[in-house]
Amino acid sequence: MKTVSKTISKALACLLLVTLLASCGGPSATPPPVTPSTLPAVVTPTPAPEEPAGGGPVSITVEIFDRSNDGGSKPEDNFYTDFIKEGVLRDHNIEVTFVPVPRWTEVEQLNNLLAAGDAPDICVTYSYPTIQTYANMGAVLDMAPYLEDNKAQLPNLWGLLGETNIYWDKDPETGEIWAIEALLRHNPRIGTFVRQDWLTKLNIAEPTTLEEFEAMLYAFKENAETLLGADADKIIPFSTSYDVGWRADHLMTMFVADDITDKDVYINGFDDRHFLLPGIKEGIRVLNKWYNDGLTWNDFPLYGSGDTTEDNLIKSGYVGSFMHNWDYPYRNGEEGIHHQLRAIAGEDAVYTSVEPFKNAAGVYRKFLPGPIDRKVFLPATNDEPVASMLYLDWLSTVENRKFLQIGEEGVTHEVLEDGAIKTVAVTGEKIMNSPNNIDYTIIINGLDLGDPELTMDSYAYNYSGVDASLVQKGYEISINDGRIGKNVQVGQITAEEGMGPVLTEKRDIVLDQAVIAPVDQFDAVFDAGMQDYLASGGQAIIDERTAAWEKVFGDAVSLD
Amino acid sequence: MDAMLGAQTARPSGKGKKFLNYTQRYWTLYLLLLLPVVYFFIFRYSPMAYILIAFKKYSIVQSVWEMPWAANNGFEHFIKAFSNRDFFYALRNTIMLNMLDLVAGFPMPVILALLLNELAFKRFKRVTQTIVYMPHFLSWIIISGLALQLFAPTSGLVNIALGKFGVEPVPFLNDPAHWVGTYIFLGIWRDMGWGTIIYLAALTGINPELYEAASVDGAGRFRKIWNITLPGLRPTIIVLLIMNLGRVLGSEFDRPYALKNNLVSSVSNVISTFVYTNGIRGQQFSLTTAVGLFQSVVCVIFLLAANALAEKFGERGIW
Repeated sequence: MKTVSKTISKALACLLLVTLLASCGGPSATPPPVTPSTLPAVVTPTPAPEEPAGGGPVSITVEIFDRSNDGGSKPEDNFYTDFIKEGVLRDHNIEVTFVPVPRWTEVEQLNNLLAAGDAPDICVTYSYPTIQTYANMGAVLDMAPYLEDNKAQLPNLWGLLGETNIYWDKDPETGEIWAIEALLRHNPRIGTFVRQDWLTKLNIAEPTTLEEFEAMLYAFKENAETLLGADADKIIPFSTSYDVGWRADHLMTMFVADDITDKDVYINGFDDRHFLLPGIKEGIRVLNKWYNDGLTWNDFPLYGSGDTTEDNLIKSGYVGSFMHNWDYPYRNGEEGIHHQLRAIAGEDAVYTSVEPFKNAAGVYRKFLPGPIDRKVFLPATNDEPVASMLYLDWLSTVENRKFLQIGEEGVTHEVLEDGAIKTVAVTGEKIMNSPNNIDYTIIINGLDLGDPELTMDSYAYNYSGVDASLVQKGYEISINDGRIGKNVQVGQITAEEGMGPVLTEKRDIVLDQAVIAPVDQFDAVFDAGMQDYLASGGQAIIDERTAAWEKVFGDAVSLD
Repeated sequence: MDAMLGAQTARPSGKGKKFLNYTQRYWTLYLLLLLPVVYFFIFRYSPMAYILIAFKKYSIVQSVWEMPWAANNGFEHFIKAFSNRDFFYALRNTIMLNMLDLVAGFPMPVILALLLNELAFKRFKRVTQTIVYMPHFLSWIIISGLALQLFAPTSGLVNIALGKFGVEPVPFLNDPAHWVGTYIFLGIWRDMGWGTIIYLAALTGINPELYEAASVDGAGRFRKIWNITLPGLRPTIIVLLIMNLGRVLGSEFDRPYALKNNLVSSVSNVISTFVYTNGIRGQQFSLTTAVGLFQSVVCVIFLLAANALAEKFGERGIW
């Protein structure tokens, strides 16, 4: 017995040793993930203007957002990716593999991929500061030489983006281009929506001033029983979310001086919710009053990004008005607010766009973005920069991006009598996971059919099942009296590095806490919050931006 | 194994021979130890080289040895952290929440274990035990969802019920002071049952003769708990207390992250969420490594101090 157990123990121990050695062989054979030390910090390009020479196809990987949408197809493998893969292989002998990255945590995911040396050859993100940070670490390729040396091979890319978007992020001193900006074809931003049927029921005209809008909210509240019957206590005259800066934008910016200079817009422009623009505090004060008068949804700060609780309240028909993306209620077809609301609250329940927020100069001024959208960049681990450029050029070709945006005739769109394209929502394999397949057309956001007039005519039909006049109205209001963002090329602002998420979080905290403060404490809460924001890096950014502006533009306060 | 350990008979002379003999006899045991040692080396010790990031200028594409040193003799990031107000708030909140957790949460499993131990009806005891430790398997994300459903001011079930009795909504989640209470309560609710397992196990180790003897001496139920059960649990309680004290500055991430909201940021921002926002999302990896290193060092100090204290009071400590 003793010898038997002894033999067994020895055999087991030997087995253990063998497995141990075998498993050790694995990790040691590959280099440690975080240390691709063979990579030089700066990669100088070897000019390779010709298409990949003969032999097998060149392989590249491309990032694709994964939105995990209901009933969606696999973002990296579906009808549209097949279209791209086949086309790029046929035209350029390049094999494309898509790498899915979750849409809502894209920056974190990119961090992981870059740190592991696994980043796709073509990366895309909405956050330029992220790219700048990577570039400072030597993790990004300078695109300038590839774009310029191969200009003749990239007519479609240059044609679509033009110098404006290609040189948008060019460093004024070094000439480096860490990313090119996708084209934002249409620039409406935010809209204010009101329940048309409630206005009719209460015989109220569409509000055209803040006073009228406010009176309308009180009217909703007072007539809750007429509007909602047994659910009267659930009424929400004006709904907002934790992201107050977005969800009250026009209310805030109506208090910004109409003649604010380009310089002031720039130096106070770090925050994309206009938080630093002088005057917006008064807009928050109005919202604070509404909150304290019971006109808003009291639980709004408790629900974070991506939560659908508020959407469900809107779909259930409890919400009288709200501010959001200019087309928010019309999005998402059958699952969207427009359809769901009508299913629950009746056929005449519909949101219409209104324009009540006029500034002191009597203008419905809106701060609109410049013609830029996502940022496309090549990580330093990209071995095929030229092939990557050819891929972007292929995407920029009108026929290719047009097919991606509207899909097959009779399936995802139909052609109306006047030639306009009407989008049709489908389920199954040809479903578009993002509107107009925006996630695949990484160099453009917004319908573009090659012909400006046809594009505009078709644009309003882009929302399946929604009356085109509603969309048209929303679009026109959203860009009416718009002030379009300008490109201020003053080089890198180092104080901004890494501060984006911290200050964004702070901004939301300040705005949320200010909105729910008792009216008599509003000033104290807002001012203390702003103080904290500035002390935590906001002021340093303003100061550095001011200095950078003055260095480049001197005393000028306007870019024109 | 016993066979091998017991087989030691001959006693060779000379040190070298002794060593040879020893290895011959026990090499299999050391071989068995190798696997965990290798595990700890690969996954626990070698990553520690990256602590150096705290003293260097981080780069995503360079190895930790190639990165240049940070300014101020490498201490730039520590200086930056200690001059950051948010870091101090995070530090304060971490200590506050963990201390409250310790004070309110630590005795709970002991009390529950004592209660369960006194139950005469064994099946009831077992069912109760299972039910109370089930919440431990829920993730904090799910619990935070439940908390919103229950405690939100206008749509939460609890507040709706209170409203029916004419009580004003209680700001369980949206007022900092109330939020702390909710945070601690949910922590106790989730982990109290799980914590009892170890105490119940320790209870089975108490010699039943002691209880019999006490009964003969006329001791009642409370007397027995006080004089037999609790002293029997003492070593276990001490060890767990030391380990908990070592965690006073440590911070879990999912719990504060899932439960926090913008209205209670003054108490809900802890070191782990600070590291997440500034490091993972803001890409200030060096800064947050410095914070993490500081946190670990303080944790080790706490642990050593608690252990020394325990030994001073005549307990065994943890090593």
